[in-house]
Amino acid sequence: MKTKYKLLSFLLTLTLVFSLLLSIAYAAEQTLNAYSIWPENWARPMFEEFEKATGIHVNFIRFSSGEALARVIAEKGNPKVDVLFGGPVATHIAGIAEGVFEPYKPLAFDVLADRFKDPDGYWVGISDDPLVFMSNEDFLKENNLNPPSSWYDLLDPAYEGLMQMADARTSGTAVTRIFSILEVFDRDEEKAFDYMKKLNKSIQVYTKSGGGGTIPVGLGEAGAGIFFIVDALKTQQEGYKVVVSFPKEGIGTSVEAIALIKGAKNPELGKKLIDWASSPAMQNLLSKYKINFVPAHPDVDVEPGLAKVLEGAANVFPIDSKFAGENRKRIVEKWVEEVLPQ
Amino acid sequence: MPAFFIKLKNGFYKLTKDPAVFASVIIIWIFLIIFILFPLAKILILTFEKSGHFTFSNIAEILAKRNHIKAFWNSLLLATLVGISGTVLGFFFAFTSVRANLSRGWSKFLDAAIILPLISPPFTMAITIIFSFGRRGIITYNLLGFTRFNIYGMHSVLFAETITFFPIAYLTLKAILAGIDPTVEDMAFSLGSSRGRVFNTVTLPLTVPGLANSFLLLFAASLADFATPLILAGNKFPVLPTEAFLQITGLFDIRGGAVLSFILLVPAFTVFVLQRYWVAQKYYVTITGKSGAQTEIKSVAPWARKIFLGICLSICLLILYLYLLLFYASIVKAFGANYEITLKHYVVVFTEGLKAIKDTLIIAITGMFCGGFYGVIIGYLISKKDFISRSSMEIVSLLNYSLPGTIVGIAYLLAFNNPPIAITGTALIIIACYVFRYGATSIRTTVAILQQIDPSIEEASASLGAKSITTFRRITIPLVLPALFNGLGVVFIRSMTAISATIFLVSINWTLITVRILEKMTELELGVAAAFSVLVVTIVFIVIIFINLFLRIFRQEGAADLSNMLGG
Repeated sequence: MKTKYKLLSFLLTLTLVFSLLLSIAYAAEQTLNAYSIWPENWARPMFEEFEKATGIHVNFIRFSSGEALARVIAEKGNPKVDVLFGGPVATHIAGIAEGVFEPYKPLAFDVLADRFKDPDGYWVGISDDPLVFMSNEDFLKENNLNPPSSWYDLLDPAYEGLMQMADARTSGTAVTRIFSILEVFDRDEEKAFDYMKKLNKSIQVYTKSGGGGTIPVGLGEAGAGIFFIVDALKTQQEGYKVVVSFPKEGIGTSVEAIALIKGAKNPELGKKLIDWASSPAMQNLLSKYKINFVPAHPDVDVEPGLAKVLEGAANVFPIDSKFAGENRKRIVEKWVEEVLPQ
Repeated sequence: MPAFFIKLKNGFYKLTKDPAVFASVIIIWIFLIIFILFPLAKILILTFEKSGHFTFSNIAEILAKRNHIKAFWNSLLLATLVGISGTVLGFFFAFTSVRANLSRGWSKFLDAAIILPLISPPFTMAITIIFSFGRRGIITYNLLGFTRFNIYGMHSVLFAETITFFPIAYLTLKAILAGIDPTVEDMAFSLGSSRGRVFNTVTLPLTVPGLANSFLLLFAASLADFATPLILAGNKFPVLPTEAFLQITGLFDIRGGAVLSFILLVPAFTVFVLQRYWVAQKYYVTITGKSGAQTEIKSVAPWARKIFLGICLSICLLILYLYLLLFYASIVKAFGANYEITLKHYVVVFTEGLKAIKDTLIIAITGMFCGGFYGVIIGYLISKKDFISRSSMEIVSLLNYSLPGTIVGIAYLLAFNNPPIAITGTALIIIACYVFRYGATSIRTTVAILQQIDPSIEEASASLGAKSITTFRRITIPLVLPALFNGLGVVFIRSMTAISATIFLVSINWTLITVRILEKMTELELGVAAAFSVLVVTIVFIVIIFINLFLRIFRQEGAADLSNMLGG
């Protein structure tokens, strides 16, 4: 019996020491905390390059834009992060009204086009991201369809139950999509929601994140979807046979923004990240990592492959960020109430 | 003096006579109030309060939304169906395992295959079902050639939850069936009954309370399940836990989330009460009494035996197939498109994912010790000591475990986001959540084991002049050690695999593997999600082997197997 207990206490001690060591292992010097709306695959290389350039380590966690904003608002009294990194700007604008951001005008502020910055500096754009239609090649062939070139093409019975796109409750992609449709119908909500209700028949599932439907479309689990170009081209780069197309009535593009959190524990480090992200220093790296955002800084060239795809887009219009920010909550709730239960 | 006051006075007298017990009771109550009652009260307040007044308008507002009404009925329907199908399947397995004269090898094999879903991280079943039965799934597309099979909807959730939860029914019913003395059936046989008649008039009636209990357990499990519907339900079949989650994380409507979880609380609490006051009483009557003389079990005809075994085996093979598929998905480049073998997903797990692994292990190990000891202490107090508030302590301590994780998570978020106890964003809140939720399993194990120990052993120690604490140290601790190991094991396993409560509690500093799996699934890195899941299953399996090893060393007569404790 004695040896058993010795063995037991030995093992107990071992586990305790082990867990202590693990917890001590975390203690970097200059650390910045961020919520990233960019998927980890893109945020991580950027933050690693940032650390290489400045020695500042970025501790981050990825959330969809709705979740990230919800967290930032919930933590208003005691902010846990310094920067909200990436994500469609409607998210950031909704945040201004909640008073969660601190204005900061980075070095590149003056050279940025007006639509890439908030006049007071509550957010700045780091890139541009148009929405696209993305369809599976085999699906189109099987159904003798051309790549969709109009919003109305998506109402074709061939698409019924075969489209995947994002859920407006969690995804900024979905919010941008809804505001695009609103613009296409000249902000006539009744007509726009009528269209969305019809489109609802084509939906297989609304995914939690914006790119959630890309691989199912790539695999042929779904036939088509509406995604940001950055997600669509990634699917193509990974070797899935998908076609990107644009509707002739036009489709929205959204600024990807970055903002400093009010009451941040490390505001100086946060500002350095914003300086870096809004400058060519970061945006020149996008093509290196095959991240197909359109750079916001005028001095950064659009990667040739991406530029070629964009040539096919006759009618891409910027989403009115002020209108989107002010109406986001109401429109999303309306979508949940009217479109979702169809 | 009324009887109640006499009881109160006596209880208090006993308490103060034994300062160790007195102090423990007070301390435990403080913890229970802070970590169980206070958070739940927060949900109630948020549900029924508006600008300082009591009101039903919050509920009315939430219920005015069509989606929510739908979600409520869907949740009840799904839970009922899972309860029925899981119980039927579980009973069939249990009956075959106990009553069909299976060899030890077969019986072990069934047990091992069935336990897999119980120790898996959430989403495992959802991922593998999409891989198998999706529109391009191995079975539906490659094998059967369906091109328009729709995977999203109630049918998939029902299938996934039945496979995931029927082991609970199996474990519950196996214990009961094994407890029915074969000689009872023998009597019926000797009076000339056919096998069918014996089954209908003897075996089945004796299992009815067990069936009811298993139905309730599965009903509760399905009601609480958040992970499976999130992936498989699609947009046509909303259920309450996912709606509450989306309400909070997507729309940042904490009050809405709290109200939705209150609506979820109503059926969940009903089940808890039914189980406790209705089923539990009948339940113990049937399983007491030791098995008498060994007699050959004749319940199943030899020909039927083969068929039963065949059906059970094919379901086990289905489970094993799904897990092999999970493993396969974790070692190929892109499941469905590129089947080249690669280790890159594991590289991601052990580089990017390292923080989540460390965090999870730290939290699970700390939670395991705290939860295990917490359970043993409460279990010891409520089964061996007499004090005021004993039965209310038992009920309160089981509350967080009986309620769906979504409710507990939201309650913690509400309660601990602001002073006086602002611990959101720390590891402490996740650990506390695990301790007060899964520690309950440790309480129940302890109670079950202590009830089998003859009180005279402790009385002997006391009459020889030993103090309460000495008796506890020298007599009780060695006796409850197996319970402690069981408790440690269960708390650890649950801490490694839980998500429904903790999804609300992770933060920039502390994240969990299960949350990473969800994140990877929504980012469509299914290979990485699969690799994480394989890692969790492996760790948990190793821990189970270790715990069973310890249990064998310290085993007491009649102590339950760890796998049985996972049941419910």
